This record gives sequence, C-alpha cells and structure tokens, in this order.
Amino acid sequence: MKRVLEGSHSVAEAVRLAKVEVISAYPITPQTHIVERLSDFCADGSLSARYLRVESEHSALAALIGASSAGARSFTATSSQGLALMHELLHWASGARLPIVLAEVNRALAPGWNIWADQTDSLSQRDTGWIQLYCETGQEVLDTTLQAFRLAEHVSLPAMVVLDAFFLSHTYEPVDVPGQREVDRFLPAFNPRFRLNTETPCAFNQLAPPDVYMEMRRSIQDAMEEALAGFSQMEEEFSGIFGRRYGAVEPVECEDAEIILVTSGTITSTSRQLVKELRSRGERVGILKIKLFRPFPAEIIRQCLKKARKVAIIDRNCSFGAGGIFAQEVKAALCDLAERPVVFSFIAGLGGRDVTVADLENIYTQVRNQEVPQRESIWAGLHPVPAPELNR
Amino acid sequence: MKNSTPPFVAHSFRTTEGNKTGSWRFLRPRYDEKTAPCAAACPAGEDIARIEMLTSQGLFKEAWETILMENPLPAVCGRVCLRPCESRCNRREFDEAIAIRAIERFLADTASRDELKPSLERFASRKQRIAVVGAGPSGLAAAFFLSRLGYGCDLFESAPEPGGVLRYGIPSYRLPAAILAAEIEQVAGSGFRLYCEKPVTKALFEQIGNDYDAVFLGCGRSRSVGLLIEGEEPGEVEDGFEFLRRINRGESPAFSNAQVAIIGGGNTAVDAARTVLRLGGKPVLIYRRRREDMPAFEEEISMALEEGVRLLELWTPLRMERKEGRYLLTLQQMRAFDTAPGQKSRVEPAEPRSTMELSVIHILKAVGLEAAEEWQNPPENSEKILRLSDSVLVRSPSIVIHGGDLASRIRSVSHAVASGKEAAIALDILFQKGPDEVLPGLESCRVGNGPALSLEMYMRGPRCARNPHVVVFDEINRDHFQFAARLVQPRLLAEERSRGFAEIDLRISAGLAMKEAERCFNCGLCNQCDNCRLYCPDLAVVRQTDSSARSIDYDYCKGCGICVVECPRNAMSLEKESAPRAQR
Repeated sequence: MKRVLEGSHSVAEAVRLAKVEVISAYPITPQTHIVERLSDFCADGSLSARYLRVESEHSALAALIGASSAGARSFTATSSQGLALMHELLHWASGARLPIVLAEVNRALAPGWNIWADQTDSLSQRDTGWIQLYCETGQEVLDTTLQAFRLAEHVSLPAMVVLDAFFLSHTYEPVDVPGQREVDRFLPAFNPRFRLNTETPCAFNQLAPPDVYMEMRRSIQDAMEEALAGFSQMEEEFSGIFGRRYGAVEPVECEDAEIILVTSGTITSTSRQLVKELRSRGERVGILKIKLFRPFPAEIIRQCLKKARKVAIIDRNCSFGAGGIFAQEVKAALCDLAERPVVFSFIAGLGGRDVTVADLENIYTQVRNQEVPQRESIWAGLHPVPAPELNR
Repeated sequence: MKNSTPPFVAHSFRTTEGNKTGSWRFLRPRYDEKTAPCAAACPAGEDIARIEMLTSQGLFKEAWETILMENPLPAVCGRVCLRPCESRCNRREFDEAIAIRAIERFLADTASRDELKPSLERFASRKQRIAVVGAGPSGLAAAFFLSRLGYGCDLFESAPEPGGVLRYGIPSYRLPAAILAAEIEQVAGSGFRLYCEKPVTKALFEQIGNDYDAVFLGCGRSRSVGLLIEGEEPGEVEDGFEFLRRINRGESPAFSNAQVAIIGGGNTAVDAARTVLRLGGKPVLIYRRRREDMPAFEEEISMALEEGVRLLELWTPLRMERKEGRYLLTLQQMRAFDTAPGQKSRVEPAEPRSTMELSVIHILKAVGLEAAEEWQNPPENSEKILRLSDSVLVRSPSIVIHGGDLASRIRSVSHAVASGKEAAIALDILFQKGPDEVLPGLESCRVGNGPALSLEMYMRGPRCARNPHVVVFDEINRDHFQFAARLVQPRLLAEERSRGFAEIDLRISAGLAMKEAERCFNCGLCNQCDNCRLYCPDLAVVRQTDSSARSIDYDYCKGCGICVVECPRNAMSLEKESAPRAQR
C-alpha cells in the first residue's frame, strides 16, 4: 500500500514487518524518530517486541548482543556519537556472529556540534565486520531494512542500514509498504545457527588463543564474501516478491560515459538530475551509485568504470590525512586494471552542507576541463575562512 | 540463497567448574554482623537495627518481642525516653535520624491493641527467691528480668498502684495511666507477684533481707530537697513532684486564671507548669539559668511555651511574702558566665542588681528530690560492696542490690530499666558462679563494649555472634540509600492540648511506621538485601533455597571484595587470608 512516510518511519515500518523481537535504543538526533515510532508500535500492540530503554548506546548494543545470542531477531538505531560509543561492541557483535540490524542515520561528529548529514560516522566503522548498505530514497530505506535482516541472518553477520540525516531521515516520500504475508515469505522467522540455551549450557566467546583466533577472523572474511555473492541472489528473491531491486551498485548511463560520477546516499538523486540535463546537452556522463559498501563490490565497480576516461568520486566524508573514503576504496579497486580511468576525488557536503545540482555541475566542469586532478582530494564549495579568533 | 558456511566461533560446552578460582584469593570476605550505634547508645541495649528491620518487613510482633528481650516497658519508653539512640543514629549525617522512639511506641501500642502475648526465652527455675522493693521502672525491670532468669520474685510497692514515678510523676498527657497499667499487666505476665500498698520500712527491709535470698532496692527519689526561700515556712511551698502526684491521684484544684509560680528547669518543673495551665492557671516558670541550660527536654519546653507557659530565664527567687491570700515573690535577675557551647552555664546576680515582683496564688518548687529515707541510699564505703554501672551490690549482712534513680548514672526511665537488668544479671552470676565472676560476666554481655547490657547476649542468644565494633557513618555505602524525610509525629494542636490531659502525641499508622523503619540503614546487620550475591562477579555467593541466608563458596571466591564494598550496611568484613594458599 502506498503511503507518504518520513524516511525514519520507513525504517520503523520495515522493522515492524520484520517482526523484530527485541529493540534496544538510546535516543539521538536525527535517529530518534525511528525508535519513537517503534515504541508506538510496541505500545499499541502492532509489534510485540521487547523494547528496552537503556542508559547509553554502548548498553543498547550490549543488550542486543545478549538478545541475539539468545536467538531473538534484534534491532537498534543510532547516529554519530552514538555509533562511536558503540564501537567496541560493533566488533563484538560481528566477532560473535550475531545478525543484529542497526539503522544508522549519517550525522556529523562533534566538535563543533553538528546534527546534519555526514558519512564519516559510519565509514569510520568500516573495519568492524558489519555489512553496510547505503540508501537513497524512502522506498529504498524500507526495502533495504528488510534485506539487511535477510542478508545478516544468512551469513551470521550484523548489518547497518545507512541513511542521510534529514535529507532522507526527515523527508516525506511516497513509499509502498508491503503486506505482512509477502514480507513473511521473503523474511521467515529467524532460525539461529546457535543460541543460548539453559538446557545445554555452554560458554560463549571465551578465550581464543593464537591457534584458533586467525581462523575465526578468516571465517568472518569468508562470510563477507558470501554476503557479496549472495546479495544479488537475495535481491532476485526480493524483486520476485516485491518487484523492486537496487543492486549492490547501480550504474546510470555508464555504458558510453566518458566521465562517471561515483556517489552514495542522497547526493545520487541530485546527480541524476544533473546527468539528465547534461545528457540533453549531449555530454557523455554517467553515475555509479554505490549501495553496498561492506562487503565492497570491487569487481562490479571495476567492470562499470573501466571504460570511462575519467571518474569523479564524491565523498560526504573524510579520512583526515588520506581523503575521501569511497575514493580510496574505488582507487584500490581500479589499480588492478592495466588501463584505468583518471580518478578525481571530491569532498563535498560535510556537516549537512547542501550539495546542489549547480555544485555538482561545477565538479563535472572541473573534471571535464582537467586532464589530471590538481590535488589528492578537492574540497568542493569551500567558503573563505575568517581570521582566527581563538586568542582574542 | 544457497547455504552459507557455518561460522567458526568460540563456543565451549565444557564446564568451568574445574577452575577453582578461589585459589587466587589472598583476601577473604565473610559475613560479620556488627553493632549499630543506636543499640550501643540505648541504656537498655535494645537491638534497634533489628527492630527497625523487622518493623519495615511488617513483622510487628517479632519486632515487639525483640524490644521485650531487653526492655519490658516499650509503651512507656516509646513515649518518655530521652532517646539517646536517635542522637547517635548514623542516618543523622545523611538526612535525619530515624524516629526510633515513635516506632517503639507504635509496636507496643499495636501489641497491646491486638492483645499479643510475647514468647520470650527464659531459663529453668532457680531455687533462690528475691524480693524487689519499689514498683517503679527499675523494680519492674528487675522483677521482669529476674523472672526470666528463673527466679521467684515478690515485688513490694507502697502506693496503691504500681509504676512509681511513671504513675505519679508524669502527667497523663505524656503517659496515659491506662497505657501504663496495661503495660505493667503485660510485664507482670513474666511471673512475679506484685503487692501494692505494702510500704517497706527499715524494719521490714531487714526482715525480708533474711526471708529472701536477695533484695533489690529500687525506691527512687520522692522527698523534696529543702532549699527554703527567705520568708518561706517549712512545708509551705509545695514540691512539683508532690503536686503532680496529687493530680495523678485524681485531685483537680482550680486556679481560676491566677498566676502560679513554678521554680525549676527540669522535666518536673515543665510538667508542673503545663499541668497548672490545664487546670486553668497562668503558670510562670522561673529558672535561674538560661533556657538552653534547662535539663528538661527541649521539645517539652517548646510545647509548654506554645501552650502559653511563661518562662522567666535568668531569674531566681529572693524572698516571698504573704499578702491578701496571695504570695508576693521577689525575683532577682541573674547573669550567665562560663557559657561554653553544649555546657551548662554558671550564673551570678546581675550587676547592677535588678529585681522584679510577681504576685501569685501558688508556688511550686521543682529543684530536686532525694531518697525518702536515708537507709534507701546505697552505702558509700563499706566492706563487700561492688559499684556497677547502674546499681550497687552489697553482699553483707544480706545480699542487697541497690538500683533505680538512687544508684544510676543518669536518672531516666531507660537507665532505670538498665539498672534492673544489670541487677538481675549480677545476681544470677553471683548465685550461679560466685562473686568473682560478676564483673567478667557482665563484661561478656555488653553491647558494642559500651555500658549497656544485653539479656539476649547473657542468655547466649544469636546476638553474641555480633562483632562489638560500632558501625560509623563512613562505613555505610550511601550509594544504596535515598534521601527521605523523617516521620513527622502527629500531635494535638496547642489549643486542644491546653484544654485537658489527653495524650498529645497521636498514634501513627502501620504504613507510616513501616515507611519510617525502612529509612533505617540497619547498621551492621544483614537485612537480606542480596547485594553481595547480585554484585558477586563469580557467582560465589550462594543463597539458601528459602533465601533466609547466604554463604560464600570459597572454592570460587577470588576475594575481590566487591561484596564487602557493596554491602550497604557493613555487615561483611574483608580479611587477609590467614594461611598461604597452596600454589597451583
């Protein structure tokens, strides 16, 4: 049924349809609407989950680690500082192979205080062993949340559904909310491979000396590879039921493109507008939207980009001292190609700064007019900085 | 989707029970109940922390019996005790002391209302018989404790009704006669025989000394101290205590709005003034020192002033004259010096001299009492006397033990109870073990090494296992307590009070009593809060299946000490392991 939903509420609807059994959360803007709506669902009986109020994000995830170990389908949501506070337990959840799903609303990290869109929070957790799925629209948010449970439970790894603060979390869009029967078909009840059981007591996650630890880590890497291989198959099933698919990456007009913009999240939508305009003027330009960041679909990306002359990667994030994080990953994927496009790395839209069609056109023009990038990362749309006031 | 590879994770189905982590321990926690400061301060040595614990659990009969173990007069002490317990309550340093006295009264009143019969431990019958002279608080206590120790007791009282100072010296608005009578009836249930209107003269005293194996003398003070005012004929000015006795016997003189002077600053003076007020007079209380030097309870003084008693502090009577059926009292103003805080000041006539005149219809003096007859006083220096804390033991020519107000360190009801208990225990030791064992025997049953004695400890009850260490405020883990206001004692309004002799302090409900008792830290006592078990990281605290007690499984206890720190009330101790542990 088509409904007009806020992005946050699309997540909540998906969690309800997924029949999550345990929710544990601590409020933080811009995530709060998700768990607020879920608490409504729990209160009005439309979702019969155990809803735990905890004193921090660290505890929120710790509680879910317990719940998931006991075999319950578990969900939480957070942003920015909250995700940073979870860091230790992000590793624990993946190491314990618990398919927890977390909705992460991308928000800038402080200081200075900033509640607006920025991907550095989730991307700085890229090495924690979590599947990461970046979304562009309200519909994609709902669908991806359902997919995340399916994928996570398939490979016994936790998954993060990532959406931009406000541009997505607080924007109302028409969304097709599927029926419960269809969702049940796609996502049956969680059937854990192991669970806490007082009938057969055992120790979980005890000491792992050097002779086994490495194999356990390899098992996580293998599971990530299986997640990558299983993604398209999972989407096949999904589209069979719901008629929608997104792809680990989505190439837009890439076939004959000389210049390809590599994007993620809502900047993709703005880029679609630009590409439409440029194409009407005869420019050979395309977009490669990256949805699946972990596991990283390097091979597909290589295939999509190898024929282009230039690639411009737009990062709403920065790894200080290195540059845009998507850019690093894409460059690493391309370096195996004998002939590869020239890669331009742009940092744009940090801390919720709007990235408009004009901004993107500016980037496109720079790329078109230069044979090689002037810098490792080019910061788009910087304002002049006033003289320091610190010592006044 | 095709099947994925099973995860390789750290799971073990082997038990960890073989890993006896107790071998790592070099500190050893143990349950170690200690002494609460209130109990150590209580002259009767009541197990107050336990009484509050039982009250908070709604176990009112058990709480009442716990009082009776040490004090036969909770309905009395619950009303008129000077509350040394509350002034030592550790909770005072947190917010406010527990209203221990109000809870004691509640328990006694509840037991009386429900006509409960206590089941108290007692020793088998002894062959010795003991006479008790005076049915005041010390005599009643002595007879009660002696009966429980197995002795046959006869109690002789000169007045028509038992109670002594409680019956005749305290106005009924503080201690109603019916309450006292019911309590004495309950005390008499311990088995002694009571003979009223049986005054013991010196000759009779000497006779019963021969007839009985021992005599307890608890005569108290009833004769006014002389101190004539200039112009006073001997016997002309009535003593305050005598006045109260008259009223308590049923007299009701009318003062028809005339001024009455009361000279003195103790509880008797204040009681006499408030009684005059209730009989329609206008009392003027005259005290030679400052108000803060008055020995009367501060609360009683402020209630008296509220009711309309006029207080003249730093005035002393110089002379009195008779004038047209009234008295003209000349007062001299005094000046206080040596006014160190917390100490009674000294006074001298103010300079320049200043006097005032007061026309009164009646004068009452309440400046002190002494023994009615000289032989009632404990001997000062004679052979074979043993001076104890609140009694004096004389073994020749016959065994006499002096107790009560004439032998106690402090004159109060609870000290009288302490005196009766000390005498009973001392006599039992004397009879069972001989004179040399009296002092060491008394030492073995002191509460927290203080002066107070415990009958439960003397009878080798569970209280003996307590550590005598008195818990101080810093040993309480305050993280486990929340601020809570102290019970406000409901009272009659000042207007209602001055109209008659109805009891001023009103009853409190069971709910209020439980709520107040819940505030108690239960210093040094395990109240089954279960913190030790909940906080133990090694599951080494084992709870009995009926959850009545816990023990430590030393096979697995690593000695981290968390249980001891998280015990809110210092009922545990952490000690060095005595012997070096076997190396693994």
